[in-house]
Amino acid sequence: MFSFLLRRVVAALGTLLLSSVMVFLAVQALPGDVATQVLGRDATPDAVAALRKQMGLDQPAWERYADWIKGALHGDFGTSLVTTKPVGGEVAQYLGNSALIAVVTVLFAVTGSVVLGVVAGLYRDRWPDQLISTVSLVGMSVPEFVVATVLVLAFSVTVPVFPAVVLYGPGAGVGQLLPAVWLPAASLAIVMAAYIVRMARTSVIDVMASEYVTTARLKGLTTWRVVTRHALPSALLPTLHVIALNVAWLVGGVAVVENVFNYPGIGKLMLTSVQNRDLPVIQAIALISAVVYVVCNLAADLGSMALNPKLRTRGGRIR
Amino acid sequence: MSSVKEPAGATPSSAAPSTPAPPPAPVRPGFAARTWRTVRSSRPAVIGLAIVAVHVVVALLAPLLTPYHPTTGDASHALLGPSADHWAGTDQYGRDVLTRVLYGGRYALGVSVTATLITIALGAVLGCAAALRGGWLDDVVMRVLDAVLSIPAILVLLVIVTALGTGSSVIVLAIAVVCVPQVVRVVRGAALTVVPQDYVTAARARGESTWAILRREVLPNISDVVCVEFAMRASWVVLLISSLSFLGFGADPPTPDWGLMVSENRTAITVVPMASLAPIIGLATMVVGLNLAADGLSKAWGVDRIREGV
Amino acid sequence: MTTSPKAPIVSVDALSVAYRSGGREVPVVREVSLEVSPGRTLALVGESGSGKSTVAATLLGHLRHGSRITGGRVAVDGKDVFALAARELRRLRGGTVAMVAQNAGHALTPSMRIGRQIAEAGGEVPVTDLLEQVRLERPRELARRYPHELSGGQQQRVAIAMAIAARPKVLVLDEPTTGLDVITQRGVLDLVGALREELGLAAVLVSHDLGVVARMADEVCVLSAGRVVEAAPTRRLFAAPADPYTRRLLASVPRIADAGLAVVGEDGMREIRPRADSAGAVDVVDVREMTIDYGASRAVDGVSFSVRRGEVLALVGESGSGKSTIAWSLAGLREPSGGTMGAASGGGAGGSSGDSSGDSSGDGSGGPSDARSGGASGGASGGSRGGLSEGASGGSRGGASGGASGGSPGGPRGGASDSPRGGSPEGASGGSRGSSPGGSRGGASVGSSGGSSGGPRGGSSEGASGGPRGSSSGGDGDLSAPARRRPLALRRTVQLVFQNADTSLNPRRSVGDAVRRPLRFFGTAGSRGEAASRARQLITDVRLEPDFADRLPAQLSGGQRQRIGIARALAGEPDLLIADEITTALDVSVQADVLCLLDDLRRERELACLFISHDLAVVRGIADRVVVLWHGVVVEEGPTDAVFAAPGHPYTKALLAAALEPDPEAEGAAAPAEEWADAAEPGALWDDLGGGHRVRRWRPTDG
Repeated sequence: MFSFLLRRVVAALGTLLLSSVMVFLAVQALPGDVATQVLGRDATPDAVAALRKQMGLDQPAWERYADWIKGALHGDFGTSLVTTKPVGGEVAQYLGNSALIAVVTVLFAVTGSVVLGVVAGLYRDRWPDQLISTVSLVGMSVPEFVVATVLVLAFSVTVPVFPAVVLYGPGAGVGQLLPAVWLPAASLAIVMAAYIVRMARTSVIDVMASEYVTTARLKGLTTWRVVTRHALPSALLPTLHVIALNVAWLVGGVAVVENVFNYPGIGKLMLTSVQNRDLPVIQAIALISAVVYVVCNLAADLGSMALNPKLRTRGGRIR
Repeated sequence: MSSVKEPAGATPSSAAPSTPAPPPAPVRPGFAARTWRTVRSSRPAVIGLAIVAVHVVVALLAPLLTPYHPTTGDASHALLGPSADHWAGTDQYGRDVLTRVLYGGRYALGVSVTATLITIALGAVLGCAAALRGGWLDDVVMRVLDAVLSIPAILVLLVIVTALGTGSSVIVLAIAVVCVPQVVRVVRGAALTVVPQDYVTAARARGESTWAILRREVLPNISDVVCVEFAMRASWVVLLISSLSFLGFGADPPTPDWGLMVSENRTAITVVPMASLAPIIGLATMVVGLNLAADGLSKAWGVDRIREGV
Repeated sequence: MTTSPKAPIVSVDALSVAYRSGGREVPVVREVSLEVSPGRTLALVGESGSGKSTVAATLLGHLRHGSRITGGRVAVDGKDVFALAARELRRLRGGTVAMVAQNAGHALTPSMRIGRQIAEAGGEVPVTDLLEQVRLERPRELARRYPHELSGGQQQRVAIAMAIAARPKVLVLDEPTTGLDVITQRGVLDLVGALREELGLAAVLVSHDLGVVARMADEVCVLSAGRVVEAAPTRRLFAAPADPYTRRLLASVPRIADAGLAVVGEDGMREIRPRADSAGAVDVVDVREMTIDYGASRAVDGVSFSVRRGEVLALVGESGSGKSTIAWSLAGLREPSGGTMGAASGGGAGGSSGDSSGDSSGDGSGGPSDARSGGASGGASGGSRGGLSEGASGGSRGGASGGASGGSPGGPRGGASDSPRGGSPEGASGGSRGSSPGGSRGGASVGSSGGSSGGPRGGSSEGASGGPRGSSSGGDGDLSAPARRRPLALRRTVQLVFQNADTSLNPRRSVGDAVRRPLRFFGTAGSRGEAASRARQLITDVRLEPDFADRLPAQLSGGQRQRIGIARALAGEPDLLIADEITTALDVSVQADVLCLLDDLRRERELACLFISHDLAVVRGIADRVVVLWHGVVVEEGPTDAVFAAPGHPYTKALLAAALEPDPEAEGAAAPAEEWADAAEPGALWDDLGGGHRVRRWRPTDG
């Protein structure tokens, strides 16, 4: 059991290390000199050189990488080139706002889609399945900005229930942001749910056709018991990883939706900092996304361990 | 090693091997013929492919279908509603919306099909190689791809586009970087079901090269998965490109791109809803078509299980 | 049709079932009628596709997805099963009729503890009592385990416990022992028999194995293509089968008493073809002290044997015995960790003596080292019959593998001394499956060995076989290199035929392509045209129409596919054909045909054949010599007739005793197996019984 967990943790750390290197290299490859950018085109070469020295840009890349990682481990991501404030605090603030959307989305999308997927799987090829499958197909096929636009049209323009755009800055309180959370969350949930529904449906169909479910049925158990006790644990296993991937996707996925609603979240920050070439912020966001991805996958692994005794007990090996 | 005894008299589904010569048809259906038969047997696939076909035809014939030019407009006819002259109205610069939507299909199809082709080719080779070789190659490939996946696709796209510009070739490259890992995962998963089969083992025992095994034994058996993956991935790429344009990082403004059009006309959605809705309809139908095709094919071929976890 | 005076508890009346496929209705069961009286056992017998499992499942009101009843009715305990309301149907299942599914490994829910799964089945009997009733030890502890922590035999016993939990009146057993090793199978069958008596159960047994049927059933119902061809009391059916189909079926079953292959005529008459005496004296492949490890566990431990031209050598053992591992290693798919394997082809036609083989290397097939072949067959000529007697081979092969064979051969496996046969057949293992090497079903081997298989293997052989590692020298004819690193001519000399014909052919390539590829690859056919015509010839050689070349594997039956697998192997013009359980997945009648083909081929081509099987009756018919493997070591070897007539090792005896003959008159319970422990010591491994028959030293232990 611990060897399984240990292997996963080591793999996760490896992934993180690799992605941090990639992020660093990619951002370094962005054209344009940071110092020139900060000081403007008219700056004297001396001033640029001085700033480069001050920012440590004259050091070799691997040293800068080491410095960056060391700082990041302590929560210090450097200072923003645009606002000149510490990146860590700024990102945290935006991240918090996005987390509000994410929590609402995950809560609704995950529970709802798992239930719908299971129902579709159980009623395979009958009308509930066809309805759910069709809707989820459409959900998959429509981009977030379209869903968001349509929702705005429906719930802000036609029936003004929710605000179409957020007028607050990143420092807004939860109370101020809360009314604005629902539409972005709904847009994300619709897109995200589609994938989970489909996965849950497929695996439920698979498991319901398995010999042990047939055996359970032939024991004379009720359908409810067969589904909840015998089928679901195994059916949720593959779904878990899809859920994890989708939750991790949220970090990037919010970009479009937050842009539509002008919501002061991490996605919005991502866009503006790419526009402004605010390299430390981009790096920080990328690294944080990687951490979220890795953590989500680890959580899914833990979930698999809970559902699959083969991973928990001795002699268990993943094949 | 283990002598797993297959039940010799088990399921009735394993249709009577004892009776000699099942269907006597000595024809050898090629991939194309097999695909065609599968497609015909699945209604969603037929509908999906028909939709895609319509899109392709429209994209090819766009100049013949409309008298207007996609990027130049008549400012005096800005923001018109649907009329006999302008079926879908005009936008704020007086450009015919329908024309732009028709031409938009060209851009979307062209870029996404190219990007998907490159992605699939790369992903298929890498995925098969990882599955077949296993060992350290597999580990390294999967670890690197995992690292790429861990960074949000949209951020990778934004960074690449900011660094290299918004030309079509840059977007194709950026898409490939983002999508290859996912394709590799799917293809590797499919190949892993083929690799332990005895016919691959037989080829190994003959001492055939990895490439020969890949080409002769593995690829023909995952062609259906790859095909489905192509349709699925193409739909995903169309969405991604339009999202990028919507954010202002994709196609440059006069280009008739659906995402860009939605973004431009969104503010005027209450005045001329068609200006936003028409590109949305174009986008949605194309993606639904691709998804339906992918879905139908994967069900008909029974590969939906392998494709899990996109 | 039953002879019982009591009212039947199960009666199936003109039942027809069909399933929909591509818009058509395909009948699977046609007008089947049968009855079972309380306390009696009815066997449904038939080959795959006969509909027997479908009929059995209808007793529980179960149909496969897409199937439906097209006629007739099924009544159990007076109730029409398919007319019951959902609630009553649930009560019927488990309460009145219970099912033991074919593969307990798949039939138990992986995420639930055994105890809960049994408790769920209802009934008043406590779980621990049920587990005791199915002769499982330490029931309390076992109840807390998950299915994957049990061996195959234990899983099957748990499935039986689950079925009898609510004290049903009818037990439906769908191939209850098909996946199990013979000794485990015997144990499970004895258990079912005992429970039937204890609980007064009626039973419906579905099986393709006429040996199982003969042992268990009171009445037999033979199905073919969904129809009942014959139904009769067991004794009568086996003594005087009336229907030609039944006669052919019965005649096709190989028997341990057969002194050769049975050839079955159209009328069901069987004729024993005397064994070919084509075995030459030239060793084709010589294996010395082969050791193979899977990670930390040792799958094959110091195995030596050689196969001569024109000879069929059988490797016999249960799952986990390492027999398939040896085959894969010879085929270059798994590198041995010690020992030598030499191919000593040379094409000196049959009858050439040991001396003459030394200079046979000039033959076109090239590659193999003549020095080695000389040495190996020198050993052969020294020993009385086989090149296997220790002294002879040790001396003559000094140059090639002195260290390996000169030293103590074979890990002494000292750890095995604590009674490996203690306790009930599966109970004692304590469920540790981790170290069993046999892959997916390794657990079964744990089951029949009693003690945890990690034990005996663990401490044993490190010292003894550490030496040979690295001594396997490279060069021509060295089979210890993986296929990729063997010279082309050497790869050709050893060809493998796979167990499962379904997966051994590429479904996307024509059958002809499968045969042509090795022809072209090994360069045995020069041009495309030549390859095509040679492929057609080979397909004819395996008694198929040459037109089959254009078909896809899916258009062939299982037996036909297996023939193509043989043709593909022959395309390499091998010296040694390895047949790895090639008939295991086939129906008996098809199996008989494939065995005949194999026998013909080795006569025609003087092929050496390594025939790997768990089925002693099959081995008896085809093999010239037998090597019995137990947990990776050879415990007995010798000419087939000698071994079968007077097995020397208690393990061989146990295997023979557990084999079920298609004869209801055969003695009832197997004699209790002898308790034994390994007593082989370096330098004193074997008891030689003469004529090449020798037995690994053992000593009896008590309890």
